[in-house]
Amino acid sequence: MIRFEEVNFAYGARSVLRSVSLSVGFHERVAVLGGSGEGKTTILKLILGLIRPDTGSIIIDGDDITRRSESELRETRMKFSIVFQEGALFDSLDVKENVAFCLREYTDMSEDEINARVRHILASVGVEQALELMPEELSGGMHRRVSIARSLALDTPRMFLYDEPTTGLDPVNADNICGLIAELSKNGKGFIMVTHKVSDALKVADRFIFLRNGSLLFDGNRHELLNSDHPDIMIFINEVCIQGPSGA
Amino acid sequence: MDVKRTISDLQDFYSLSLHGLLGIAGRPFYFKDALLQMDYAGAGSVVIVVIVDLFVGMALSLQLAAELSSLGLKMYIGMIVGISVVRELGPVVTALVFTGRVGAGMASELGSMALGHQVDTIRVFGLDPVKKLVTPRIVSSLIMLPALTVIGVAVSLLGGYYIAVFVSHQSGTVYWTSIRNILTVENVLAGASKPFIFAYLISSICCYMGLSTRGGSVGLRQATTRAVVMSIVMIIVADFVLTRMLLYVLGFSV
Ligand SMILES: Nc1ncnc2c1ncn2[C@@H]1O[C@H](COP(=O)(O)OP(=O)(O)OP(=O)(O)O)[C@@H](O)[C@H]1O
Ligand SMILES: [Mg+2]
Repeated sequence: MIRFEEVNFAYGARSVLRSVSLSVGFHERVAVLGGSGEGKTTILKLILGLIRPDTGSIIIDGDDITRRSESELRETRMKFSIVFQEGALFDSLDVKENVAFCLREYTDMSEDEINARVRHILASVGVEQALELMPEELSGGMHRRVSIARSLALDTPRMFLYDEPTTGLDPVNADNICGLIAELSKNGKGFIMVTHKVSDALKVADRFIFLRNGSLLFDGNRHELLNSDHPDIMIFINEVCIQGPSGA
Repeated sequence: MDVKRTISDLQDFYSLSLHGLLGIAGRPFYFKDALLQMDYAGAGSVVIVVIVDLFVGMALSLQLAAELSSLGLKMYIGMIVGISVVRELGPVVTALVFTGRVGAGMASELGSMALGHQVDTIRVFGLDPVKKLVTPRIVSSLIMLPALTVIGVAVSLLGGYYIAVFVSHQSGTVYWTSIRNILTVENVLAGASKPFIFAYLISSICCYMGLSTRGGSVGLRQATTRAVVMSIVMIIVADFVLTRMLLYVLGFSV
Protein backbone atom coordinates (compact mmCIF):
# COMPACT_ATOMS: atom_id res chain seq x y z
CA MET A 1 0.00 0.00 0.00
CA ILE A 2 1.32 3.42 -1.03
CA ARG A 3 -0.05 6.34 0.95
CA PHE A 4 0.63 10.04 0.37
CA GLU A 5 -0.32 12.21 3.35
CA GLU A 6 -0.57 15.93 2.71
CA VAL A 7 2.51 15.86 0.48
CA ASN A 8 3.91 19.20 -0.59
CA PHE A 9 6.76 19.40 -3.02
CA ALA A 10 8.49 22.31 -4.75
CA TYR A 11 11.48 22.61 -7.05
CA GLY A 12 13.11 25.67 -5.52
CA ALA A 13 10.43 28.34 -5.56
CA ARG A 14 8.18 26.50 -8.04
CA SER A 15 5.52 24.60 -6.16
CA VAL A 16 4.72 21.32 -7.94
CA LEU A 17 2.50 19.33 -5.57
CA ARG A 18 0.19 20.96 -3.02
CA SER A 19 -1.03 18.82 -0.13
CA VAL A 20 -1.63 15.72 -2.19
CA SER A 21 -3.16 12.82 -0.30
CA LEU A 22 -3.93 9.50 -1.89
CA SER A 23 -3.55 5.82 -1.32
CA VAL A 24 -2.96 3.11 -3.88
CA GLY A 25 -2.82 -0.63 -3.32
CA PHE A 26 -0.02 -2.69 -4.87
CA HIS A 27 -2.53 -4.64 -6.97
CA GLU A 28 -4.34 -1.61 -8.39
CA ARG A 29 -4.15 -0.54 -12.02
CA VAL A 30 -3.89 3.20 -11.84
CA ALA A 31 -3.49 5.83 -14.51
CA VAL A 32 -2.26 9.25 -13.47
CA LEU A 33 -3.43 11.80 -16.01
CA GLY A 34 -2.65 15.44 -16.39
CA GLY A 35 -1.13 18.03 -18.67
CA SER A 36 2.53 18.48 -19.28
CA GLY A 37 4.45 19.77 -16.28
CA GLU A 38 1.67 19.05 -13.78
CA GLY A 39 3.93 16.88 -11.61
CA LYS A 40 3.14 13.37 -12.81
CA THR A 41 6.75 12.28 -13.05
CA THR A 42 7.36 13.98 -9.71
CA ILE A 43 4.86 11.62 -8.06
CA LEU A 44 6.73 8.56 -9.32
CA LYS A 45 10.06 9.96 -8.14
CA LEU A 46 8.57 10.62 -4.71
CA ILE A 47 7.32 7.04 -4.46
CA LEU A 48 10.82 5.76 -5.17
CA GLY A 49 12.44 8.17 -2.75
CA LEU A 50 14.53 9.75 -5.51
CA ILE A 51 13.34 13.12 -4.21
CA ARG A 52 11.88 13.96 -0.84
CA PRO A 53 8.70 15.94 -0.10
CA ASP A 54 9.08 19.30 1.61
CA THR A 55 6.31 18.46 4.05
CA GLY A 56 3.97 15.52 4.52
CA SER A 57 4.78 11.85 4.50
CA ILE A 58 4.84 9.00 2.03
CA ILE A 59 4.09 5.67 3.60
CA ILE A 60 4.81 2.45 1.77
CA ASP A 61 3.77 -0.77 3.46
CA GLY A 62 3.48 1.08 6.75
CA ASP A 63 6.98 2.47 6.46
CA ASP A 64 7.44 6.25 6.26
CA ILE A 65 10.06 6.50 3.53
CA THR A 66 10.54 10.24 3.99
CA ARG A 67 12.52 9.44 7.13
CA ARG A 68 14.67 6.76 5.57
CA SER A 69 18.27 7.21 4.54
CA GLU A 70 19.45 6.39 1.03
CA SER A 71 20.69 2.93 2.04
CA GLU A 72 17.51 2.14 3.97
CA LEU A 73 15.43 3.00 0.91
CA ARG A 74 16.88 0.09 -1.02
CA GLU A 75 14.31 -2.40 0.22
CA THR A 76 11.40 -0.12 -0.67
CA ARG A 77 12.77 0.57 -4.13
CA MET A 78 13.11 -3.13 -4.86
CA LYS A 79 9.32 -3.44 -4.52
CA PHE A 80 8.95 -1.37 -7.67
CA SER A 81 10.11 -1.49 -11.21
CA ILE A 82 10.11 1.76 -13.14
CA VAL A 83 10.29 2.61 -16.80
CA PHE A 84 11.45 6.21 -17.02
CA GLN A 85 9.99 8.65 -19.49
CA GLU A 86 13.32 8.82 -21.34
CA GLY A 87 13.93 5.09 -21.13
CA ALA A 88 17.22 5.70 -19.32
CA LEU A 89 19.05 2.70 -20.74
CA PHE A 90 22.72 2.53 -19.78
CA ASP A 91 24.21 3.94 -22.96
CA SER A 92 27.61 2.34 -22.46
CA LEU A 93 26.06 -1.15 -22.42
CA ASP A 94 24.41 -2.97 -25.29
CA VAL A 95 20.79 -4.08 -25.15
CA LYS A 96 21.66 -7.52 -23.85
CA GLU A 97 23.75 -6.17 -20.97
CA ASN A 98 21.09 -3.61 -20.14
CA VAL A 99 18.49 -6.30 -19.72
CA ALA A 100 20.95 -8.59 -17.94
CA PHE A 101 22.02 -5.83 -15.53
CA CYS A 102 19.86 -6.86 -12.58
CA LEU A 103 20.31 -10.56 -13.30
CA ARG A 104 24.06 -10.19 -12.93
CA GLU A 105 23.58 -8.10 -9.81
CA TYR A 106 21.04 -10.16 -7.92
CA THR A 107 21.17 -13.70 -9.22
CA ASP A 108 23.97 -16.19 -9.74
CA MET A 109 22.69 -17.42 -13.08
CA SER A 110 25.21 -18.88 -15.47
CA GLU A 111 26.03 -17.06 -18.70
CA ASP A 112 23.80 -19.48 -20.65
CA GLU A 113 20.87 -18.97 -18.31
CA ILE A 114 21.25 -15.20 -18.55
CA ASN A 115 21.36 -15.42 -22.35
CA ALA A 116 18.23 -17.50 -22.46
CA ARG A 117 16.36 -15.26 -20.05
CA VAL A 118 17.36 -12.07 -21.87
CA ARG A 119 16.26 -13.53 -25.21
CA HIS A 120 12.98 -14.64 -23.71
CA ILE A 121 12.23 -11.21 -22.21
CA LEU A 122 13.21 -9.35 -25.36
CA ALA A 123 10.99 -11.64 -27.40
CA SER A 124 8.08 -10.97 -25.07
CA VAL A 125 8.31 -7.25 -25.85
CA GLY A 126 9.02 -7.93 -29.52
CA VAL A 127 12.56 -6.61 -29.88
CA GLU A 128 14.63 -9.81 -29.92
CA GLN A 129 16.41 -8.58 -33.06
CA ALA A 130 17.94 -5.71 -31.05
CA LEU A 131 19.96 -8.00 -28.76
CA GLU A 132 23.39 -6.79 -29.86
CA LEU A 133 22.61 -3.15 -30.61
CA MET A 134 23.72 -0.20 -28.54
CA PRO A 135 20.98 2.05 -27.09
CA GLU A 136 21.89 4.88 -29.49
CA GLU A 137 21.12 2.59 -32.42
CA LEU A 138 17.53 1.99 -31.29
CA SER A 139 14.46 3.84 -32.48
CA GLY A 140 12.31 5.57 -29.88
CA GLY A 141 9.80 2.74 -29.72
CA MET A 142 12.48 0.05 -29.46
CA HIS A 143 14.21 2.07 -26.75
CA ARG A 144 10.99 2.19 -24.75
CA ARG A 145 10.41 -1.54 -25.18
CA VAL A 146 13.94 -2.43 -24.16
CA SER A 147 13.47 -0.32 -21.02
CA ILE A 148 10.31 -2.25 -20.27
CA ALA A 149 12.22 -5.48 -20.88
CA ARG A 150 14.92 -4.39 -18.47
CA SER A 151 12.34 -3.65 -15.80
CA LEU A 152 10.96 -7.19 -16.23
CA ALA A 153 14.25 -8.99 -15.72
CA LEU A 154 13.67 -9.72 -12.05
CA ASP A 155 10.46 -11.26 -10.77
CA THR A 156 10.71 -9.56 -7.39
CA PRO A 157 8.94 -6.18 -7.97
CA ARG A 158 5.37 -6.02 -6.75
CA MET A 159 4.32 -3.04 -8.78
CA PHE A 160 5.29 -1.42 -12.06
CA LEU A 161 5.65 2.30 -12.55
CA TYR A 162 5.44 3.50 -16.14
CA ASP A 163 6.24 7.07 -17.05
CA GLU A 164 4.56 7.95 -20.37
CA PRO A 165 5.09 4.48 -21.85
CA THR A 166 3.25 5.27 -25.08
CA THR A 167 4.12 8.90 -25.73
CA GLY A 168 5.79 9.52 -29.03
CA LEU A 169 5.02 6.07 -30.43
CA ASP A 170 2.98 5.24 -33.51
CA PRO A 171 -0.51 3.84 -32.77
CA VAL A 172 0.51 0.26 -33.52
CA ASN A 173 3.47 0.34 -31.18
CA ALA A 174 1.50 2.22 -28.54
CA ASP A 175 -1.20 -0.43 -28.76
CA ASN A 176 1.39 -3.19 -28.40
CA ILE A 177 2.78 -1.59 -25.29
CA CYS A 178 -0.69 -1.17 -23.79
CA GLY A 179 -1.29 -4.85 -24.47
CA LEU A 180 1.98 -5.69 -22.76
CA ILE A 181 1.11 -3.57 -19.75
CA ALA A 182 -2.30 -5.20 -19.46
CA GLU A 183 -0.73 -8.64 -19.82
CA LEU A 184 1.82 -7.96 -17.08
CA SER A 185 -0.86 -6.84 -14.64
CA LYS A 186 -2.77 -10.11 -14.89
CA ASN A 187 -0.97 -11.92 -12.10
CA GLY A 188 -1.94 -9.42 -9.43
CA LYS A 189 0.95 -7.03 -9.92
CA GLY A 190 -0.53 -3.59 -10.27
CA PHE A 191 0.89 -0.55 -11.95
CA ILE A 192 0.84 3.19 -11.91
CA MET A 193 0.93 4.51 -15.43
CA VAL A 194 1.61 8.17 -15.95
CA THR A 195 0.31 9.52 -19.22
CA HIS A 196 -1.49 12.36 -20.86
CA LYS A 197 -3.20 10.10 -23.38
CA VAL A 198 -6.60 9.22 -21.95
CA SER A 199 -7.21 6.74 -24.75
CA ASP A 200 -4.24 4.61 -23.67
CA ALA A 201 -5.15 4.93 -20.02
CA LEU A 202 -8.67 3.68 -20.75
CA LYS A 203 -7.27 0.57 -22.42
CA VAL A 204 -5.42 -0.68 -19.36
CA ALA A 205 -6.32 1.06 -16.11
CA ASP A 206 -9.34 0.86 -13.91
CA ARG A 207 -8.63 3.74 -11.58
CA PHE A 208 -7.92 7.22 -12.86
CA ILE A 209 -6.29 10.11 -11.07
CA PHE A 210 -6.32 13.52 -12.65
CA LEU A 211 -3.68 16.01 -11.62
CA ARG A 212 -4.21 19.74 -12.00
CA ASN A 213 -2.24 22.65 -10.54
CA GLY A 214 -0.51 20.40 -8.08
CA SER A 215 -3.64 18.86 -6.59
CA LEU A 216 -5.89 15.90 -7.34
CA LEU A 217 -8.74 17.13 -9.46
CA PHE A 218 -10.31 13.73 -9.87
CA ASP A 219 -9.90 10.23 -8.48
CA GLY A 220 -12.33 7.59 -9.60
CA ASN A 221 -13.18 4.70 -11.91
CA ARG A 222 -13.79 4.59 -15.64
CA HIS A 223 -17.49 5.30 -15.40
CA GLU A 224 -16.97 8.34 -13.20
CA LEU A 225 -14.24 9.62 -15.50
CA LEU A 226 -16.29 9.36 -18.65
CA ASN A 227 -19.28 11.04 -17.01
CA SER A 228 -17.32 13.80 -15.34
CA ASP A 229 -18.63 17.24 -16.12
CA HIS A 230 -15.49 19.09 -15.07
CA PRO A 231 -14.45 21.22 -18.06
CA ASP A 232 -10.70 20.39 -17.82
CA ILE A 233 -11.38 16.68 -17.73
CA MET A 234 -13.88 16.95 -20.54
CA ILE A 235 -11.20 18.46 -22.77
CA PHE A 236 -9.06 15.36 -22.21
CA ILE A 237 -11.96 12.99 -22.73
CA ASN A 238 -13.23 14.71 -25.83
CA GLU A 239 -9.96 13.83 -27.49
CA VAL A 240 -10.91 10.19 -27.01
CA CYS A 241 -14.50 10.61 -28.09
CA ILE A 242 -13.47 12.20 -31.37
CA GLN A 243 -11.08 9.33 -32.08
CA GLY A 244 -13.61 6.83 -30.77
CA PRO A 245 -12.75 5.07 -27.54
CA SER A 246 -11.50 1.55 -28.07
CA GLY A 247 -12.30 0.04 -24.70
CA ALA A 248 -15.09 2.12 -23.26
CA MET B 1 21.49 31.47 1.76
CA ASP B 2 24.42 31.06 -0.61
CA VAL B 3 26.79 30.28 2.25
CA LYS B 4 24.42 27.59 3.47
CA ARG B 5 24.33 26.13 -0.04
CA THR B 6 28.12 26.10 -0.30
CA ILE B 7 28.49 24.40 3.05
CA SER B 8 25.98 21.71 2.17
CA ASP B 9 27.74 21.17 -1.20
CA LEU B 10 31.06 20.81 0.61
CA GLN B 11 29.50 18.32 3.01
CA ASP B 12 28.17 16.31 0.08
CA PHE B 13 31.61 16.37 -1.53
CA TYR B 14 33.38 15.16 1.62
CA SER B 15 30.83 12.44 2.15
CA LEU B 16 31.11 11.30 -1.49
CA SER B 17 34.90 11.22 -1.50
CA LEU B 18 35.01 9.44 1.85
CA HIS B 19 32.43 6.81 0.92
CA GLY B 20 33.99 6.40 -2.49
CA LEU B 21 37.28 5.51 -0.84
CA LEU B 22 35.75 3.36 1.89
CA GLY B 23 33.88 1.47 -0.82
CA ILE B 24 37.15 -0.29 -1.62
CA ALA B 25 36.83 -2.27 1.59
CA GLY B 26 33.07 -2.96 1.59
CA ARG B 27 31.18 -5.53 -0.43
CA PRO B 28 30.20 -5.58 -3.22
CA PHE B 29 33.28 -4.39 -5.03
CA TYR B 30 32.70 -3.89 -8.74
CA PHE B 31 35.89 -5.44 -9.98
CA LYS B 32 34.93 -5.46 -13.64
CA ASP B 33 34.00 -1.77 -13.62
CA ALA B 34 37.31 -0.94 -11.94
CA LEU B 35 39.16 -2.93 -14.59
CA LEU B 36 37.39 -1.10 -17.42
CA GLN B 37 38.22 2.22 -15.80
CA MET B 38 41.87 1.21 -15.40
CA ASP B 39 42.05 0.37 -19.04
CA TYR B 40 40.59 3.73 -19.99
CA ALA B 41 42.56 5.78 -17.47
CA GLY B 42 45.86 3.92 -17.64
CA ALA B 43 46.48 2.22 -20.94
CA GLY B 44 44.63 4.95 -22.81
CA SER B 45 46.74 7.74 -21.29
CA VAL B 46 50.22 6.33 -21.82
CA VAL B 47 50.84 7.94 -25.19
CA ILE B 48 49.84 11.45 -24.19
CA VAL B 49 51.77 11.22 -20.90
CA VAL B 50 54.87 10.08 -22.79
CA ILE B 51 54.63 12.93 -25.30
CA VAL B 52 54.01 15.65 -22.73
CA ASP B 53 56.60 14.49 -20.23
CA LEU B 54 59.21 13.96 -22.95
CA PHE B 55 58.92 17.55 -24.12
CA VAL B 56 58.84 18.93 -20.58
CA GLY B 57 62.08 17.07 -19.82
CA MET B 58 63.71 18.30 -23.03
CA ALA B 59 62.63 21.92 -22.54
CA LEU B 60 63.87 21.93 -18.96
CA SER B 61 67.21 20.45 -19.95
CA LEU B 62 67.55 22.96 -22.78
CA GLN B 63 66.89 25.94 -20.51
CA LEU B 64 69.39 24.70 -17.95
CA ALA B 65 72.00 23.99 -20.60
CA ALA B 66 71.67 27.54 -21.95
CA GLU B 67 72.02 29.07 -18.53
CA LEU B 68 74.62 26.79 -16.99
CA SER B 69 77.01 26.60 -19.95
CA SER B 70 77.77 30.32 -19.67
CA LEU B 71 78.71 29.70 -16.04
CA GLY B 72 80.68 26.60 -16.95
CA LEU B 73 78.46 24.44 -14.73
CA LYS B 74 77.02 22.16 -17.40
CA MET B 75 77.84 19.03 -15.41
CA TYR B 76 75.06 19.98 -13.00
CA ILE B 77 72.35 19.62 -15.66
CA GLY B 78 71.66 16.00 -14.72
CA MET B 79 71.33 16.78 -11.05
CA ILE B 80 68.98 19.73 -11.49
CA VAL B 81 66.86 18.00 -14.15
CA GLY B 82 66.67 14.91 -11.95
CA ILE B 83 65.58 16.72 -8.81
CA SER B 84 63.03 18.92 -10.56
CA VAL B 85 61.55 16.05 -12.52
CA VAL B 86 61.45 13.45 -9.76
CA ARG B 87 60.24 15.67 -6.96
CA GLU B 88 58.10 18.21 -8.78
CA LEU B 89 57.52 18.32 -12.49
CA GLY B 90 56.92 14.63 -13.19
CA PRO B 91 54.10 14.18 -10.67
CA VAL B 92 52.49 17.56 -11.33
CA VAL B 93 52.65 17.49 -15.13
CA THR B 94 51.37 13.92 -15.26
CA ALA B 95 48.53 14.80 -12.89
CA LEU B 96 47.56 17.77 -15.06
CA VAL B 97 47.52 15.60 -18.18
CA PHE B 98 45.49 13.01 -16.27
CA THR B 99 42.97 15.69 -15.27
CA GLY B 100 42.54 16.86 -18.84
CA ARG B 101 42.10 13.42 -20.26
CA VAL B 102 40.66 11.18 -17.56
CA GLY B 103 39.12 13.66 -15.12
CA ALA B 104 37.21 15.53 -17.79
CA GLY B 105 36.08 12.18 -19.19
CA MET B 106 34.81 11.04 -15.79
CA ALA B 107 32.92 14.27 -15.17
CA SER B 108 31.24 14.34 -18.56
CA GLU B 109 30.40 10.63 -18.54
CA LEU B 110 28.86 10.71 -15.08
CA GLY B 111 27.20 14.02 -15.93
CA SER B 112 25.45 12.61 -18.95
CA MET B 113 24.46 9.54 -16.93
CA ALA B 114 22.95 11.80 -14.28
CA LEU B 115 21.06 13.83 -16.88
CA GLY B 116 19.77 10.72 -18.65
CA HIS B 117 18.32 9.30 -15.41
CA GLN B 118 20.85 6.47 -15.58
CA VAL B 119 22.12 7.27 -12.09
CA ASP B 120 18.52 7.30 -10.82
CA THR B 121 18.04 3.93 -12.50
CA ILE B 122 21.00 2.54 -10.59
CA ARG B 123 19.46 3.85 -7.36
CA VAL B 124 16.08 2.38 -8.26
CA PHE B 125 17.70 -1.00 -8.88
CA GLY B 126 18.73 -0.87 -5.24
CA LEU B 127 22.43 -0.30 -5.94
CA ASP B 128 24.64 2.35 -4.41
CA PRO B 129 25.80 4.71 -7.20
CA VAL B 130 28.84 5.65 -5.13
CA LYS B 131 29.98 2.02 -4.97
CA LYS B 132 29.03 1.29 -8.55
CA LEU B 133 30.37 4.46 -10.20
CA VAL B 134 32.68 6.38 -7.88
CA THR B 135 34.71 3.68 -6.14
CA PRO B 136 35.90 1.99 -9.36
CA ARG B 137 37.04 5.38 -10.66
CA ILE B 138 38.89 6.27 -7.46
CA VAL B 139 40.54 2.86 -7.40
CA SER B 140 41.59 3.03 -11.02
CA SER B 141 43.04 6.52 -10.53
CA LEU B 142 44.88 5.49 -7.36
CA ILE B 143 46.56 2.69 -9.28
CA MET B 144 47.03 4.27 -12.68
CA LEU B 145 48.19 7.82 -11.91
CA PRO B 146 51.22 6.61 -9.87
CA ALA B 147 52.04 4.13 -12.63
CA LEU B 148 51.75 6.85 -15.28
CA THR B 149 53.87 9.15 -13.13
CA VAL B 150 56.68 6.58 -13.03
CA ILE B 151 56.55 6.32 -16.81
CA GLY B 152 56.35 10.11 -17.15
CA VAL B 153 59.36 10.69 -14.90
CA ALA B 154 61.41 8.11 -16.77
CA VAL B 155 60.54 9.66 -20.12
CA SER B 156 61.32 13.18 -18.85
CA LEU B 157 64.73 12.04 -17.69
CA LEU B 158 65.32 10.49 -21.11
CA GLY B 159 64.33 13.75 -22.77
CA GLY B 160 66.74 15.59 -20.51
CA TYR B 161 69.44 13.09 -21.42
CA TYR B 162 68.85 13.59 -25.13
CA ILE B 163 69.31 17.36 -24.88
CA ALA B 164 72.26 17.16 -22.48
CA VAL B 165 74.17 14.66 -24.59
CA PHE B 166 73.22 15.31 -28.21
CA VAL B 167 72.51 19.05 -28.13
CA SER B 168 74.65 20.33 -25.28
CA HIS B 169 77.43 17.73 -25.84
CA GLN B 170 77.71 16.54 -22.27
CA SER B 171 78.98 13.16 -21.21
CA GLY B 172 76.09 10.69 -20.90
CA THR B 173 77.84 8.92 -18.05
CA VAL B 174 78.00 12.10 -16.00
CA TYR B 175 74.30 12.69 -16.65
CA TRP B 176 73.21 9.22 -15.53
CA THR B 177 75.58 9.22 -12.56
CA SER B 178 74.09 12.44 -11.26
CA ILE B 179 70.60 11.06 -11.84
CA ARG B 180 71.51 7.96 -9.89
CA ASN B 181 72.94 10.09 -7.11
CA ILE B 182 69.78 12.09 -6.69
CA LEU B 183 67.56 8.99 -6.62
CA THR B 184 67.80 8.84 -2.83
CA VAL B 185 65.05 7.49 -0.64
CA GLU B 186 64.08 11.04 0.37
CA ASN B 187 63.80 12.32 -3.19
CA VAL B 188 61.90 9.31 -4.43
CA LEU B 189 59.50 9.45 -1.48
CA ALA B 190 58.98 13.16 -1.98
CA GLY B 191 57.91 12.50 -5.57
CA ALA B 192 56.16 9.17 -5.19
CA SER B 193 53.71 10.17 -2.48
CA LYS B 194 52.25 12.95 -4.60
CA PRO B 195 50.47 10.99 -7.35
CA PHE B 196 48.37 9.10 -4.80
CA ILE B 197 47.07 12.34 -3.30
CA PHE B 198 46.55 13.87 -6.75
CA ALA B 199 44.70 10.76 -7.99
CA TYR B 200 42.33 10.88 -5.05
CA LEU B 201 41.71 14.60 -5.51
CA ILE B 202 41.11 14.36 -9.27
CA SER B 203 38.82 11.35 -9.15
CA SER B 204 36.69 12.52 -6.26
CA ILE B 205 36.34 16.09 -7.56
CA CYS B 206 35.47 14.94 -11.08
CA CYS B 207 33.03 12.25 -9.90
CA TYR B 208 31.34 14.69 -7.57
CA MET B 209 30.97 17.35 -10.26
CA GLY B 210 29.71 14.77 -12.73
CA LEU B 211 27.11 13.28 -10.41
CA SER B 212 25.80 16.68 -9.35
CA THR B 213 25.21 17.82 -12.95
CA ARG B 214 21.87 19.57 -13.49
CA GLY B 215 20.38 21.46 -16.36
CA GLY B 216 20.95 19.88 -19.75
CA SER B 217 23.92 20.37 -22.03
CA VAL B 218 24.79 23.76 -20.56
CA GLY B 219 24.83 22.17 -17.12
CA LEU B 220 27.05 19.42 -18.46
CA ARG B 221 29.47 21.95 -19.90
CA GLN B 222 29.58 23.80 -16.58
CA ALA B 223 30.08 20.60 -14.61
CA THR B 224 32.95 19.43 -16.81
CA THR B 225 34.62 22.84 -16.80
CA ARG B 226 34.28 23.15 -13.06
CA ALA B 227 35.62 19.63 -12.54
CA VAL B 228 38.77 20.35 -14.59
CA VAL B 229 39.36 23.84 -13.17
CA MET B 230 38.87 22.70 -9.58
CA SER B 231 41.12 19.70 -10.10
CA ILE B 232 43.91 21.78 -11.60
CA VAL B 233 43.74 24.39 -8.85
CA MET B 234 43.65 21.70 -6.17
CA ILE B 235 46.61 19.87 -7.70
CA ILE B 236 48.75 23.00 -7.70
CA VAL B 237 47.73 24.02 -4.18
CA ALA B 238 48.07 20.49 -2.82
CA ASP B 239 51.46 20.22 -4.49
CA PHE B 240 52.71 23.26 -2.61
CA VAL B 241 51.31 22.10 0.72
CA LEU B 242 52.66 18.59 0.21
CA THR B 243 56.07 19.85 -0.80
CA ARG B 244 56.22 22.00 2.31
CA MET B 245 55.22 19.08 4.51
CA LEU B 246 57.46 16.52 2.84
CA LEU B 247 60.52 18.74 2.97
CA TYR B 248 59.90 19.20 6.66
CA VAL B 249 59.21 15.53 7.38
CA LEU B 250 62.12 14.27 5.31
CA GLY B 251 64.44 16.73 7.02
CA PHE B 252 65.47 19.01 4.15
CA SER B 253 66.52 22.46 5.29
CA VAL B 254 65.04 25.23 3.16
N1 LIG C 1 14.91 18.90 -11.97
C1 LIG C 1 14.01 19.90 -11.98
N2 LIG C 1 14.34 21.13 -11.54
C2 LIG C 1 13.44 22.13 -11.51
N3 LIG C 1 12.15 22.01 -11.90
C3 LIG C 1 11.74 20.81 -12.33
C4 LIG C 1 12.65 19.69 -12.41
N4 LIG C 1 11.96 18.63 -12.88
C5 LIG C 1 10.71 19.06 -13.10
N5 LIG C 1 10.57 20.37 -12.78
C6 LIG C 1 9.35 21.16 -12.86
O1 LIG C 1 8.37 20.53 -12.06
C7 LIG C 1 7.12 20.51 -12.69
C8 LIG C 1 6.59 19.09 -12.75
O2 LIG C 1 7.47 18.30 -13.50
P1 LIG C 1 7.13 16.80 -13.89
O3 LIG C 1 8.33 16.26 -14.57
O4 LIG C 1 6.63 16.08 -12.71
O5 LIG C 1 5.96 17.02 -14.94
P2 LIG C 1 5.14 15.93 -15.75
O6 LIG C 1 3.73 16.03 -15.28
O7 LIG C 1 5.80 14.62 -15.69
O8 LIG C 1 5.20 16.53 -17.23
P3 LIG C 1 5.36 15.75 -18.63
O9 LIG C 1 4.02 15.23 -19.00
O10 LIG C 1 5.79 16.83 -19.57
O11 LIG C 1 6.38 14.70 -18.44
C9 LIG C 1 7.32 21.12 -14.06
O12 LIG C 1 6.75 22.41 -14.03
C10 LIG C 1 8.78 21.20 -14.26
O13 LIG C 1 9.11 22.42 -14.87
MG1 LIG D 1 6.88 13.47 -16.96
